[in-house]
Amino acid sequence: MNEIIEKAREIITSYDGPKVRIMEVCGTHTHEIFRLGIRSLLPENIDLISGPGCPVCVTQVGFIDEALYLALEKNCLITTFGDLIKVPGTEMNLAKARAKGANIRPVYSPDDAVNLAIENPDKDVVFLSVGFETTTPSSCLAVKRAKELGLNNFSILVANKSMPNAYQKLKGSADAFLYPGHVNAITGNGVCKQLKEEGVSGVVAGFTATELMTALAVTIEMLKKGEPFFVNCYPRVVKDEGSVFAQKLMDEVMELCDTEWRGLGMIEKSGLKLRSEYSDFDSRIKYNMPHIEGKPNPGCRCGEVLQGHCKPSDCPLFGKVCTPLHAVGACMVSDEGACSAFYQYAQ
Amino acid sequence: MENVITLAHGSGSIQTNELINGIFKSNFDNPDLTADDAAVLSLDEGKIAMSTDGFIVSPYEFPGGNIGKLAICGTVNDIACMGAKPKYLTCSYIIEEGFPVEELEKIAKSMGETARKAGVEIVAGDTKVAGKGQVDKIFITTTGVGNIVEGVNTSGAFAKPGDKIIVTGDIGRHGCTILLARNEFNIDADITSDCAPLWSNIEAVLKETKDIHVIRDATRGGVGTVLYEIAHQSNVGISLESEKIPVDPGVRGVCAMLGLEPLYLACEGRLVFFVPASEADKVLSALQSCENSEKAAIIGEVTEDNVGKVILNTAVGAKTLLSRPSGELLPRIC
Repeated sequence: MNEIIEKAREIITSYDGPKVRIMEVCGTHTHEIFRLGIRSLLPENIDLISGPGCPVCVTQVGFIDEALYLALEKNCLITTFGDLIKVPGTEMNLAKARAKGANIRPVYSPDDAVNLAIENPDKDVVFLSVGFETTTPSSCLAVKRAKELGLNNFSILVANKSMPNAYQKLKGSADAFLYPGHVNAITGNGVCKQLKEEGVSGVVAGFTATELMTALAVTIEMLKKGEPFFVNCYPRVVKDEGSVFAQKLMDEVMELCDTEWRGLGMIEKSGLKLRSEYSDFDSRIKYNMPHIEGKPNPGCRCGEVLQGHCKPSDCPLFGKVCTPLHAVGACMVSDEGACSAFYQYAQ
Repeated sequence: MENVITLAHGSGSIQTNELINGIFKSNFDNPDLTADDAAVLSLDEGKIAMSTDGFIVSPYEFPGGNIGKLAICGTVNDIACMGAKPKYLTCSYIIEEGFPVEELEKIAKSMGETARKAGVEIVAGDTKVAGKGQVDKIFITTTGVGNIVEGVNTSGAFAKPGDKIIVTGDIGRHGCTILLARNEFNIDADITSDCAPLWSNIEAVLKETKDIHVIRDATRGGVGTVLYEIAHQSNVGISLESEKIPVDPGVRGVCAMLGLEPLYLACEGRLVFFVPASEADKVLSALQSCENSEKAAIIGEVTEDNVGKVILNTAVGAKTLLSRPSGELLPRIC
């Protein structure tokens, strides 16, 4: 253990003030917090809540149904980040569709999907575009490249989400946020500073053991003072202005829209869609997608878990019918999902 | 000889003979290699260890080895883990029609070299050719046998509280190599498979002490899977020091990018030892003096509590459970 971690650990474990709720908003933070065992260090009066920061977890059931429609009805070659393959749709997930003969390929980046379209001119390639500001720029680049190449067999099914307006929905759920370092690296700190003016506190956190422990210790120290605060605890990566290049790129290719978050419902201006100049690459328009209303399992409490209103173990499905091998709710699918992490830890 | 394998090569005809004499016999050359229906052999007195393993890795050639080298190492290491000196191997090929003869030659050469290095003789074999599309290029099955060194008694059920856990080098290289060799992720990294025969390493340890509880070859499923298997078989808990687990920086980087846990990536040249604390230093220095285990390290110990679980002591001084993977990891890595 290095000195910084030791000092941070001392601050965190010796906290004896009133109960505080800290929400980590990033799925990678959730994962690292579990991996490092940080929860086991926390005294009872620090509640660390896993927020809706895993892109797979907040993707609505209807989106998977749309992907299934393109795979099974339109015979598209579906390319996707691996985690999405196991997320349940209304009837089945993409893994099951693959077993039924659908063409589903995991890719590491949207650019790989463009390459597949180039290599397979006889196939209609669709990329399932999910994620926050960290992954949205790469989808935008892929679409721009496809347009420059004049590809007519590539499109993206967009469910990208934008964090800033989601905080408005979440702000009553915690006393302080651990803001997602990599999202802030793109968006900059303007939104967080604005939230501080509205009385919402938080710190930007990095991802190493030292960075996460430091961010938590700073949060505790600032909460003790009782004033709203914002501190950038990840200055080696996050600059106040963010990445102007990525911001311009996103603004050029996509625009904000209202969108549904699995579990949280509709949040105004928290989603993204392709601008009309790029509508040729919008799978919904290209394939004349009918309106598909996804039906989540009524017993699933992922939404409440994502807002910190209940713990995964409070859900009646948790660990019984919903396990990492047979996920019912999206939070059980990804390693970054709160339910999956809780399940593994509880075993 | 023709330049691709045809169905005639598997039909028992002149072409079959050409293949056996031209490729296998010349590369496996040893006095016990049979031309009859079965090899007639002798073993020393005492207990023997015997094992068989099928190899279907894709791609069949990768940085650090190929399916041939893998097929020798896999079976040799399985036998060696029981404290047995591998002596004889048989190998059975299923080859897809159209497979280049030149490639088969490369694979056979690599098998011959690896077998000689491991001190084992290939004594019998079989070749079948399957029609185009019926197998993916080439599948190999090897079976091996060897005498167990007297006084050695290892088993996955023998781990005891207080035992030190030693891994013989950095973990996860084979799995990572195969992942990158498939070229699905367009990641360039200088990573080669750890594939190697390890009897000489075990022999070096047994010269120092025979008081070894468990030796396991951490292949498919990686070191993490081995640890869980032993925790269950021996009804014990396992406590790991996460900072002490050797991982190549390249492997660590790829794992971070793809969200993989190095503990669950396959190795093909790494052993996990469970030894009494009193023997740990001897075992460690014996391993560190051998090729392919220079970086051996003690990574944890066996506990009486937390039965069936693997607990990680992390960089922040906390304890956490090593999560178990579910679903498909990487298909066809060995």
